[in-house]
Amino acid sequence: MTDRPWTAFYGAGARAEIERASYRSIGELVRSVAQTYGRAPAFTCCLPNGMNGTLSFAQVDEMSDALAVYLREVAGLAAGDRVAVQLPNGLSFPIAVFGVLKAGCVLVNVNPLYTAEEMAKQFQDAEPHALIIADMFADKVPAATRGHPIPNLIVTRVAEFLPALPRGIVGLVQKYWDRSIKPVEIGHVRLPQALEAGRAHRAAERIEVDAYIRNVQPDDVAVLQYTGGTTGVAKGAMLTHANLILNMEQTMELISDAVKKGEEVALTALPMYHVFAFTVNLLGFWWLGARNILIPNPRPLSNLKRAFENYRITWLSGVNTLFNGLTNEVWFTDSPPRHLKFASAGGMALQTAVARKWEAITGKPVLQGYGLTETSPVLTFNPLGKAREGSIGVPVPSTLIACLDDAGNPVPQGQPGEIAARGPQIMAGYWKRPDETAKVMRDGWFLTGDIGVMDGDGYVTIVDRKKDMVVVSGFNVYPNEVEDCLATHPGILESAVIGVPDEATGEAVKAFVVRRDPGLTEADIRDHCKAHLTAYKVPKRVEFRDELPKSNVGKILRKDLRAEAMARHAAE
Amino acid sequence: MVGAFEQAILALMIFVIMLGMGASLTPRDFWLALRRPYGLAIGVISQYGFMPLIGFLLITILPLPQAIAVGVLIMACMPGGTTSNIFTYFSKGNLALSVLMTVTSTVTGVILIPIILVLYATALDLEIPRENIIITLVLLLVPVAIGMVLRKINANVGAVTEFFGSALALFFILFLMISWVPRNWQFLLSTTPATYVAAIGLGLVGITIGYLFARALRLHPRNARTVALETGIQNGPLAIAIIAFTFSGTEAQEIMAVPALYSLFIVIVSTLVTLVFRRANTAAEQKLPDSLL
Repeated sequence: MTDRPWTAFYGAGARAEIERASYRSIGELVRSVAQTYGRAPAFTCCLPNGMNGTLSFAQVDEMSDALAVYLREVAGLAAGDRVAVQLPNGLSFPIAVFGVLKAGCVLVNVNPLYTAEEMAKQFQDAEPHALIIADMFADKVPAATRGHPIPNLIVTRVAEFLPALPRGIVGLVQKYWDRSIKPVEIGHVRLPQALEAGRAHRAAERIEVDAYIRNVQPDDVAVLQYTGGTTGVAKGAMLTHANLILNMEQTMELISDAVKKGEEVALTALPMYHVFAFTVNLLGFWWLGARNILIPNPRPLSNLKRAFENYRITWLSGVNTLFNGLTNEVWFTDSPPRHLKFASAGGMALQTAVARKWEAITGKPVLQGYGLTETSPVLTFNPLGKAREGSIGVPVPSTLIACLDDAGNPVPQGQPGEIAARGPQIMAGYWKRPDETAKVMRDGWFLTGDIGVMDGDGYVTIVDRKKDMVVVSGFNVYPNEVEDCLATHPGILESAVIGVPDEATGEAVKAFVVRRDPGLTEADIRDHCKAHLTAYKVPKRVEFRDELPKSNVGKILRKDLRAEAMARHAAE
Repeated sequence: MVGAFEQAILALMIFVIMLGMGASLTPRDFWLALRRPYGLAIGVISQYGFMPLIGFLLITILPLPQAIAVGVLIMACMPGGTTSNIFTYFSKGNLALSVLMTVTSTVTGVILIPIILVLYATALDLEIPRENIIITLVLLLVPVAIGMVLRKINANVGAVTEFFGSALALFFILFLMISWVPRNWQFLLSTTPATYVAAIGLGLVGITIGYLFARALRLHPRNARTVALETGIQNGPLAIAIIAFTFSGTEAQEIMAVPALYSLFIVIVSTLVTLVFRRANTAAEQKLPDSLL
């Protein structure tokens, strides 16, 4: 295996190759795992005040069966029909997702915080036959479906399936105190009623959900996962059952030595409609037989306090923003989780300063992984105990990574090039967009648009996004490197670095900084950078901001800042 | 002033409220507050250092009759009570620290209160009724302990207890304010402005000084808010009991006006301070990207 030196860093029991998925479909995975863990707690929804509800593996299995029957027999959907699910984390989420996938339908994950216009765009593209939505967001449905009605609307709520008293209290508080629930003004059915209808129909007609499941092929599309992509056009990445199951297994393989099946308690604060949480937290934790603590809304971060106090969290999976935020919360740093084994980070670059601070506080590492929506998403991951600082880790089993130059040829080892990937987790293509698919696939390789370096052991380090690179007098400056340096300054809360047109150097480095210390000056920042970076990398311009534009998962949107800077430049 | 039945109802309400407060806590919260006893020490200094001094300055500056001056001084020397715990809870302060401060000031008060009184009023010899001290401690610690156990056994039972306890606490605060005014209308009309200033000022200045002192010693804002409320909010019922024990007849009635007046206004002042503290807490919260839902 000399061509894949990184397999030497996998755990002792880990498979270097995963030829085929252990299950033919996600429905089969759900069923099989439920039979193993039965009445053990699978999901616990924990609200900010500590009120909670739990469903066992068997309950989630039975309830998602009922939903599958409802969708197919009562709502009249066929296999392959799209079903949009627009829910925050909660007990309804796994029931909705597993129900849709057991029915052989295609899941369309929708961000609950989307505006009506954003929803409309996604609905027009995906053409869902049903929508499962939380009541808090249902007021946007009429505007989002004008002209393109969705025939079936199923409404649920955050506190659904909690015990009656907490459910009632939360309902009253949401209705009369927060006023976060608006009346649903179009025809709909409530999720519990849909399940009842599904159960009644199954009993009366003797319907076998296993028959739906058997009809699903590994290469059938399971999920349309929308991504803004690099070009800004929202596209649905078609992820198949095999893509998702394999990617979940590939990722779990790297931490298999550290976790015990049926014994872990995992915290899910990242929304599961996001591909990273979908594969790792929803599918991975289920497969692991873990108790999955679901946080409907991690804002403010104190909403997580009760979950950390009440449950022995052994695994936390999140994004840089979450880890950075927690390390700045007094209640967290005062009593960090004692049972934590490790944390995993994805979705965006994990800053070295954040990773160090996290490890100093919790005594446990954050393992960074890397991937894209189009790759289900995990391509690389840091093996536990062999994590390397700043690195996104080594390719997961059965995955090849190459760094290519502009002509598409591999660069010499240690040189930066565009990361290309090959493996069973690469999507089937973009939904109805063969032209866009052709742009990112080349000879069976998926082009990520990220610039990376691979060392002799197979550890990959992301240098930057291809399009974010700044060229200063012919020198390449990668904004991540400058931002990482800025992040080590105690007076800086966060920053974003972009290139702006400059008469002398072609492009110049500009930093947008959110201060923690209000007294921080531009000169302080430049001095700090000069101490750590080569001269051409030091920001020529610094602009202080109160906040930075961010995407729905907290990625800082450099493109927005760049567009702003370009507009200003054009005006001058 | 208050009948036995009303007293029992009040005690029951406080019990249920403290049950709810307890259900919001874990043993770890107490351990953390004890591990760094710095905050606790600052609290005791603030409670028995600044408050009596503020009381002494108020009676020196203001033209107050002798009986009122005695009342102000007694009030200023009292330890914290459960009311301070309730307001700390609503202020998003450190409730475990607040409870510990109340316990500490109540227990050490048995020795410290007479010493301080010797310092500020040589002639005043007070009886401190032990049973009231014990009742204060029991009414505080027993429900808090039960609340914590409830939460440990079942997080939902704990959360529901906390919900009803805090709802009752809101009702309790409103009840105190609304029921007090009509019952004491005549008394309010006959009270002199100087007495008002003393009764209101004691709590307000106490909270302010407590906060500034704690912040100056670099206590975290959350703990500083706790020290502030704990310092300014005194155990009114204990003061009333002490006065009833020590004095008699019209003298007792006259002195009693101060804790009565103080008790009304401290609830109003603390409510306003709580609103300010809550706003400060929200402003200090980390801003996360809008849709990391």
